Amino acid sequence: MSEITVNHFLFLSAALFIIGMMGVLTRRNVLVIFMCVEMMVAAASITLVAFAQETHTINGQAFVLFALAVAAAEAAVGLAIIIALARRGTAPDINQMQELRD
Amino acid sequence: MPWDVIFFYTIAAICLFTGLLVVVSESPVHSAIFLVLCFVNVAGIFVMQGAEFLAVLQIIVYSGAVLVLLLFVLMLIDPDKLPSFYTARPLQRYVSLLIGLVLLLEVGAAIITRPAIEAIGPDTPEAIAAVGGNVQAIGRIIFTDYALALEMTSLVLTVGVVGAVVLGLPERLGEKARESRSTISLGHPRGSSDILGPGPRFETPIDVPAGRTTAPQGPRKVVMAKSPDDYTRAGEISR
Repeated sequence: MSEITVNHFLFLSAALFIIGMMGVLTRRNVLVIFMCVEMMVAAASITLVAFAQETHTINGQAFVLFALAVAAAEAAVGLAIIIALARRGTAPDINQMQELRD
Repeated sequence: MPWDVIFFYTIAAICLFTGLLVVVSESPVHSAIFLVLCFVNVAGIFVMQGAEFLAVLQIIVYSGAVLVLLLFVLMLIDPDKLPSFYTARPLQRYVSLLIGLVLLLEVGAAIITRPAIEAIGPDTPEAIAAVGGNVQAIGRIIFTDYALALEMTSLVLTVGVVGAVVLGLPERLGEKARESRSTISLGHPRGSSDILGPGPRFETPIDVPAGRTTAPQGPRKVVMAKSPDDYTRAGEISR
Protein backbone atom coordinates (compact mmCIF):
# COMPACT_ATOMS: atom_id res chain seq x y z
CA MET A 1 0.00 0.00 0.00
CA SER A 2 2.88 2.29 0.71
CA GLU A 3 4.73 1.63 -2.51
CA ILE A 4 3.66 1.48 -6.13
CA THR A 5 4.75 -1.79 -7.69
CA VAL A 6 4.33 -3.18 -11.16
CA ASN A 7 1.30 -5.17 -9.98
CA HIS A 8 -0.60 -1.96 -9.36
CA PHE A 9 -0.17 -0.99 -12.99
CA LEU A 10 -1.14 -4.48 -14.10
CA PHE A 11 -4.34 -4.33 -12.08
CA LEU A 12 -5.22 -0.94 -13.51
CA SER A 13 -4.53 -2.19 -17.01
CA ALA A 14 -6.65 -5.32 -16.52
CA ALA A 15 -9.55 -3.30 -15.17
CA LEU A 16 -9.38 -0.81 -18.03
CA PHE A 17 -9.14 -3.60 -20.58
CA ILE A 18 -12.15 -5.40 -19.17
CA ILE A 19 -14.20 -2.20 -19.06
CA GLY A 20 -13.37 -1.67 -22.72
CA MET A 21 -14.21 -5.26 -23.55
CA MET A 22 -17.59 -5.00 -21.86
CA GLY A 23 -18.23 -1.86 -23.87
CA VAL A 24 -17.42 -3.68 -27.09
CA LEU A 25 -19.72 -6.53 -26.15
CA THR A 26 -22.72 -4.54 -24.91
CA ARG A 27 -22.92 -1.34 -26.92
CA ARG A 28 -24.62 -1.17 -30.30
CA ASN A 29 -23.22 2.10 -31.61
CA VAL A 30 -20.26 1.37 -33.85
CA LEU A 31 -18.50 4.59 -32.85
CA VAL A 32 -18.69 3.76 -29.15
CA ILE A 33 -17.41 0.26 -29.91
CA PHE A 34 -14.55 1.93 -31.72
CA MET A 35 -13.76 4.10 -28.68
CA CYS A 36 -13.80 1.05 -26.45
CA VAL A 37 -11.33 -0.69 -28.75
CA GLU A 38 -9.02 2.31 -28.42
CA MET A 39 -9.37 2.06 -24.66
CA MET A 40 -8.35 -1.60 -24.80
CA VAL A 41 -5.28 -0.65 -26.83
CA ALA A 42 -4.35 1.92 -24.17
CA ALA A 43 -4.76 -0.69 -21.43
CA ALA A 44 -2.48 -3.11 -23.27
CA SER A 45 0.05 -0.30 -23.63
CA ILE A 46 0.07 0.20 -19.87
CA THR A 47 0.88 -3.49 -19.42
CA LEU A 48 3.72 -3.34 -21.92
CA VAL A 49 5.26 -0.29 -20.26
CA ALA A 50 4.85 -1.87 -16.83
CA PHE A 51 6.77 -4.97 -17.85
CA ALA A 52 9.38 -2.87 -19.58
CA GLN A 53 9.83 -1.02 -16.32
CA GLU A 54 10.06 -4.25 -14.35
CA THR A 55 12.62 -5.96 -16.59
CA HIS A 56 14.66 -2.80 -17.12
CA THR A 57 14.38 -3.02 -20.88
CA ILE A 58 13.11 -0.27 -23.10
CA ASN A 59 11.85 -2.66 -25.82
CA GLY A 60 8.36 -2.62 -24.34
CA GLN A 61 8.15 1.12 -24.86
CA ALA A 62 9.22 0.67 -28.48
CA PHE A 63 6.44 -1.91 -28.89
CA VAL A 64 3.93 0.61 -27.55
CA LEU A 65 5.20 3.10 -30.11
CA PHE A 66 4.50 0.67 -32.95
CA ALA A 67 1.14 -0.31 -31.49
CA LEU A 68 0.24 3.38 -31.35
CA ALA A 69 1.07 3.79 -35.06
CA VAL A 70 -0.98 0.73 -36.01
CA ALA A 71 -3.86 1.96 -33.88
CA ALA A 72 -3.75 5.32 -35.64
CA ALA A 73 -3.89 3.63 -39.06
CA GLU A 74 -6.72 1.45 -37.82
CA ALA A 75 -8.59 4.53 -36.63
CA ALA A 76 -8.30 6.16 -40.06
CA VAL A 77 -9.53 3.07 -41.92
CA GLY A 78 -12.27 2.27 -39.42
CA LEU A 79 -13.69 5.77 -39.47
CA ALA A 80 -13.55 5.78 -43.28
CA ILE A 81 -15.57 2.56 -43.27
CA ILE A 82 -18.13 4.17 -40.96
CA ILE A 83 -18.34 7.21 -43.25
CA ALA A 84 -18.76 4.99 -46.32
CA LEU A 85 -21.52 3.07 -44.56
CA ALA A 86 -23.25 6.28 -43.51
CA ARG A 87 -23.15 7.50 -47.09
CA ARG A 88 -24.85 4.33 -48.22
CA GLY A 89 -27.59 4.94 -45.71
CA THR A 90 -26.71 2.20 -43.26
CA ALA A 91 -27.18 3.22 -39.66
CA PRO A 92 -24.07 2.94 -37.47
CA ASP A 93 -25.70 0.07 -35.64
CA ILE A 94 -23.81 -3.14 -35.11
CA ASN A 95 -26.98 -5.18 -35.43
CA GLN A 96 -27.70 -3.83 -38.89
CA MET A 97 -24.21 -4.26 -40.31
CA GLN A 98 -24.49 -7.82 -41.45
CA GLU A 99 -24.23 -7.62 -45.20
CA LEU A 100 -20.98 -9.55 -45.21
CA ARG A 101 -22.64 -12.32 -43.26
CA ASP A 102 -25.68 -12.62 -45.50
CA MET B 1 1.46 7.82 2.57
CA PRO B 2 3.96 9.06 0.01
CA TRP B 3 2.89 11.39 -2.72
CA ASP B 4 3.40 9.03 -5.61
CA VAL B 5 0.98 6.54 -4.08
CA ILE B 6 -1.64 9.24 -3.68
CA PHE B 7 -1.07 10.36 -7.26
CA PHE B 8 -1.30 6.81 -8.55
CA TYR B 9 -4.58 6.07 -6.84
CA THR B 10 -6.07 9.39 -7.89
CA ILE B 11 -5.08 8.97 -11.52
CA ALA B 12 -6.12 5.32 -11.61
CA ALA B 13 -9.49 6.10 -10.07
CA ILE B 14 -10.18 8.92 -12.55
CA CYS B 15 -9.00 6.73 -15.41
CA LEU B 16 -11.26 3.82 -14.52
CA PHE B 17 -14.21 6.05 -13.71
CA THR B 18 -14.04 7.90 -17.02
CA GLY B 19 -13.49 4.61 -18.80
CA LEU B 20 -16.68 3.32 -17.22
CA LEU B 21 -18.49 6.50 -18.24
CA VAL B 22 -17.39 5.96 -21.85
CA VAL B 23 -19.23 2.66 -21.79
CA VAL B 24 -22.36 3.72 -19.91
CA SER B 25 -22.99 7.24 -21.14
CA GLU B 26 -25.92 7.57 -23.46
CA SER B 27 -24.62 10.07 -25.99
CA PRO B 28 -21.61 9.17 -28.16
CA VAL B 29 -20.32 12.74 -27.85
CA HIS B 30 -20.16 12.34 -24.09
CA SER B 31 -18.39 9.04 -24.59
CA ALA B 32 -15.78 10.72 -26.77
CA ILE B 33 -15.15 13.46 -24.22
CA PHE B 34 -14.81 10.98 -21.39
CA LEU B 35 -12.44 9.02 -23.56
CA VAL B 36 -10.24 12.11 -23.88
CA LEU B 37 -10.17 12.35 -20.09
CA CYS B 38 -9.36 8.65 -19.81
CA PHE B 39 -6.48 8.96 -22.27
CA VAL B 40 -5.04 11.98 -20.50
CA ASN B 41 -5.01 9.92 -17.32
CA VAL B 42 -3.38 7.02 -19.16
CA ALA B 43 -0.70 9.50 -20.19
CA GLY B 44 -0.32 10.38 -16.52
CA ILE B 45 0.17 6.69 -15.76
CA PHE B 46 2.86 6.56 -18.44
CA VAL B 47 4.64 9.46 -16.78
CA MET B 48 4.55 7.58 -13.49
CA GLN B 49 6.10 4.57 -15.22
CA GLY B 50 8.94 6.65 -16.59
CA ALA B 51 7.76 6.65 -20.20
CA GLU B 52 7.52 10.37 -20.83
CA PHE B 53 7.81 10.09 -24.59
CA LEU B 54 4.87 7.71 -24.77
CA ALA B 55 2.85 9.98 -22.52
CA VAL B 56 3.34 12.92 -24.87
CA LEU B 57 2.61 10.69 -27.85
CA GLN B 58 -0.55 9.39 -26.19
CA ILE B 59 -1.88 12.90 -25.76
CA ILE B 60 -0.87 14.06 -29.24
CA VAL B 61 -2.00 10.99 -31.18
CA TYR B 62 -5.04 9.88 -29.23
CA SER B 63 -6.46 12.91 -27.53
CA GLY B 64 -5.32 15.18 -30.32
CA ALA B 65 -5.78 13.34 -33.58
CA VAL B 66 -7.90 10.23 -33.21
CA LEU B 67 -10.51 11.74 -30.94
CA VAL B 68 -10.89 14.83 -33.11
CA LEU B 69 -11.33 12.55 -36.13
CA LEU B 70 -13.89 10.58 -34.17
CA LEU B 71 -15.82 13.71 -33.24
CA PHE B 72 -15.82 14.83 -36.88
CA VAL B 73 -17.26 11.49 -37.96
CA LEU B 74 -19.79 11.74 -35.16
CA MET B 75 -20.94 15.09 -36.49
CA LEU B 76 -21.23 13.77 -40.03
CA ILE B 77 -23.61 10.99 -39.04
CA ASP B 78 -27.31 11.61 -38.83
CA PRO B 79 -28.15 11.61 -35.12
CA ASP B 80 -31.60 10.16 -35.76
CA LYS B 81 -30.02 7.04 -37.15
CA LEU B 82 -27.88 6.37 -34.10
CA PRO B 83 -28.96 3.20 -32.40
CA SER B 84 -30.46 3.14 -28.97
CA PHE B 85 -28.25 2.56 -26.01
CA TYR B 86 -28.09 -1.11 -25.28
CA THR B 87 -28.63 -4.33 -27.07
CA ALA B 88 -32.18 -5.51 -27.27
CA ARG B 89 -31.95 -8.05 -24.46
CA PRO B 90 -31.27 -6.57 -21.02
CA LEU B 91 -30.05 -9.99 -19.92
CA GLN B 92 -26.88 -9.39 -21.88
CA ARG B 93 -26.05 -6.43 -19.66
CA TYR B 94 -26.07 -8.44 -16.46
CA VAL B 95 -24.35 -11.40 -18.05
CA SER B 96 -21.63 -9.12 -19.36
CA LEU B 97 -21.21 -7.52 -15.93
CA LEU B 98 -20.86 -10.97 -14.38
CA ILE B 99 -18.41 -12.13 -17.02
CA GLY B 100 -16.39 -8.95 -16.58
CA LEU B 101 -16.14 -9.40 -12.82
CA VAL B 102 -15.17 -13.06 -13.20
CA LEU B 103 -12.53 -12.13 -15.75
CA LEU B 104 -11.19 -9.41 -13.48
CA LEU B 105 -10.95 -11.88 -10.62
CA GLU B 106 -9.14 -14.38 -12.81
CA VAL B 107 -6.66 -11.85 -14.10
CA GLY B 108 -6.21 -10.46 -10.60
CA ALA B 109 -5.40 -13.92 -9.25
CA ALA B 110 -2.94 -14.41 -12.08
CA ILE B 111 -1.28 -11.07 -11.32
CA ILE B 112 -1.01 -11.77 -7.60
CA THR B 113 0.39 -15.27 -7.98
CA ARG B 114 2.77 -14.57 -10.81
CA PRO B 115 6.47 -15.10 -10.14
CA ALA B 116 8.56 -11.99 -9.99
CA ILE B 117 10.63 -11.32 -13.07
CA GLU B 118 14.26 -10.57 -12.54
CA ALA B 119 15.44 -7.29 -13.89
CA ILE B 120 17.40 -8.60 -16.82
CA GLY B 121 17.70 -5.65 -19.14
CA PRO B 122 20.49 -3.17 -19.47
CA ASP B 123 18.19 -0.15 -19.46
CA THR B 124 18.15 0.71 -15.80
CA PRO B 125 16.97 4.19 -14.89
CA GLU B 126 20.61 5.17 -14.45
CA ALA B 127 21.51 3.91 -17.94
CA ILE B 128 18.60 5.79 -19.45
CA ALA B 129 19.64 8.93 -17.61
CA ALA B 130 23.20 8.44 -18.87
CA VAL B 131 21.96 8.27 -22.48
CA GLY B 132 20.16 11.54 -21.97
CA GLY B 133 16.61 10.53 -21.12
CA ASN B 134 13.66 8.48 -22.18
CA VAL B 135 13.30 10.03 -25.64
CA GLN B 136 16.95 9.45 -26.49
CA ALA B 137 16.81 5.86 -25.29
CA ILE B 138 13.72 5.06 -27.36
CA GLY B 139 15.23 6.81 -30.36
CA ARG B 140 18.37 4.73 -30.08
CA ILE B 141 16.50 1.44 -29.93
CA ILE B 142 13.96 2.09 -32.68
CA PHE B 143 16.62 3.28 -35.11
CA THR B 144 18.96 0.38 -34.46
CA ASP B 145 17.23 -2.81 -33.32
CA TYR B 146 13.81 -1.97 -34.67
CA ALA B 147 14.76 -0.10 -37.84
CA LEU B 148 12.97 -2.63 -40.06
CA ALA B 149 9.88 -2.53 -37.87
CA LEU B 150 9.93 1.25 -38.09
CA GLU B 151 9.99 1.08 -41.88
CA MET B 152 7.12 -1.40 -41.81
CA THR B 153 5.19 0.97 -39.57
CA SER B 154 5.58 3.72 -42.12
CA LEU B 155 4.29 1.29 -44.76
CA VAL B 156 1.30 0.44 -42.57
CA LEU B 157 0.52 4.12 -42.11
CA THR B 158 0.78 4.75 -45.85
CA VAL B 159 -1.51 1.85 -46.65
CA GLY B 160 -3.90 3.05 -43.97
CA VAL B 161 -4.05 6.53 -45.48
CA VAL B 162 -4.58 5.14 -49.00
CA GLY B 163 -7.28 2.81 -47.70
CA ALA B 164 -9.03 5.65 -45.90
CA VAL B 165 -8.99 7.77 -49.05
CA VAL B 166 -10.30 4.93 -51.20
CA LEU B 167 -13.06 4.16 -48.71
CA GLY B 168 -13.93 7.81 -48.38
CA LEU B 169 -14.31 8.39 -52.09
CA PRO B 170 -17.86 8.84 -53.29
CA GLU B 171 -19.08 5.82 -55.16
CA ARG B 172 -18.92 7.48 -58.53
CA LEU B 173 -17.44 4.52 -60.31
CA GLY B 174 -19.97 2.22 -58.77
CA GLU B 175 -22.83 4.49 -59.79
CA LYS B 176 -21.64 4.54 -63.36
CA ALA B 177 -21.48 0.78 -63.44
CA ARG B 178 -24.99 0.53 -62.02
CA GLU B 179 -26.27 3.05 -64.56
CA SER B 180 -24.84 1.14 -67.48
CA ARG B 181 -26.18 -2.08 -66.07
CA SER B 182 -29.66 -0.67 -65.78
CA THR B 183 -29.82 0.50 -69.37
CA ILE B 184 -31.53 -1.83 -71.69
CA SER B 185 -29.55 -3.69 -74.31
CA LEU B 186 -25.99 -2.67 -73.80
CA GLY B 187 -24.93 -4.84 -76.71
CA HIS B 188 -27.05 -2.89 -79.08
CA PRO B 189 -25.08 -0.11 -80.75
CA ARG B 190 -27.92 2.40 -80.65
CA GLY B 191 -28.54 1.74 -77.03
CA SER B 192 -24.93 1.89 -76.06
CA SER B 193 -23.67 4.79 -78.12
CA ASP B 194 -25.18 7.57 -76.06
CA ILE B 195 -24.08 5.99 -72.79
CA LEU B 196 -20.56 5.05 -73.54
CA GLY B 197 -19.82 8.40 -75.12
CA PRO B 198 -17.08 8.58 -77.72
CA GLY B 199 -16.53 5.21 -79.26
CA PRO B 200 -17.32 3.27 -82.35
CA ARG B 201 -20.47 4.66 -83.88
CA PHE B 202 -22.49 2.64 -86.28
CA GLU B 203 -23.75 4.52 -89.27
CA THR B 204 -26.45 2.12 -90.30
CA PRO B 205 -28.97 0.80 -87.86
CA ILE B 206 -29.04 -2.90 -87.64
CA ASP B 207 -31.91 -4.79 -89.04
CA VAL B 208 -33.59 -6.32 -86.09
CA PRO B 209 -36.40 -8.74 -86.73
CA ALA B 210 -39.81 -7.35 -85.95
CA GLY B 211 -41.32 -8.56 -82.74
CA ARG B 212 -38.04 -8.88 -80.91
CA THR B 213 -37.57 -5.19 -80.28
CA THR B 214 -39.66 -2.11 -80.28
CA ALA B 215 -38.84 1.20 -81.82
CA PRO B 216 -37.32 3.79 -79.50
CA GLN B 217 -39.76 6.27 -78.08
CA GLY B 218 -38.98 9.50 -76.36
CA PRO B 219 -35.72 11.46 -76.41
CA ARG B 220 -33.54 8.59 -75.35
CA LYS B 221 -32.87 5.82 -77.77
CA VAL B 222 -33.86 2.75 -75.90
CA VAL B 223 -34.12 -0.68 -77.39
CA MET B 224 -36.32 -3.04 -75.54
CA ALA B 225 -35.33 -6.63 -75.33
CA LYS B 226 -37.97 -9.08 -74.42
CA SER B 227 -35.95 -12.08 -73.37
CA PRO B 228 -32.47 -12.45 -71.94
CA ASP B 229 -31.31 -14.08 -75.20
CA ASP B 230 -31.85 -10.84 -77.03
CA TYR B 231 -28.92 -9.21 -75.28
CA THR B 232 -26.45 -11.77 -76.50
CA ARG B 233 -27.91 -11.96 -79.96
CA ALA B 234 -27.82 -8.22 -80.35
CA GLY B 235 -24.21 -8.33 -79.28
CA GLU B 236 -23.46 -10.90 -81.92
CA ILE B 237 -25.09 -8.77 -84.57
CA SER B 238 -23.14 -5.66 -83.63
CA ARG B 239 -19.91 -7.57 -83.76
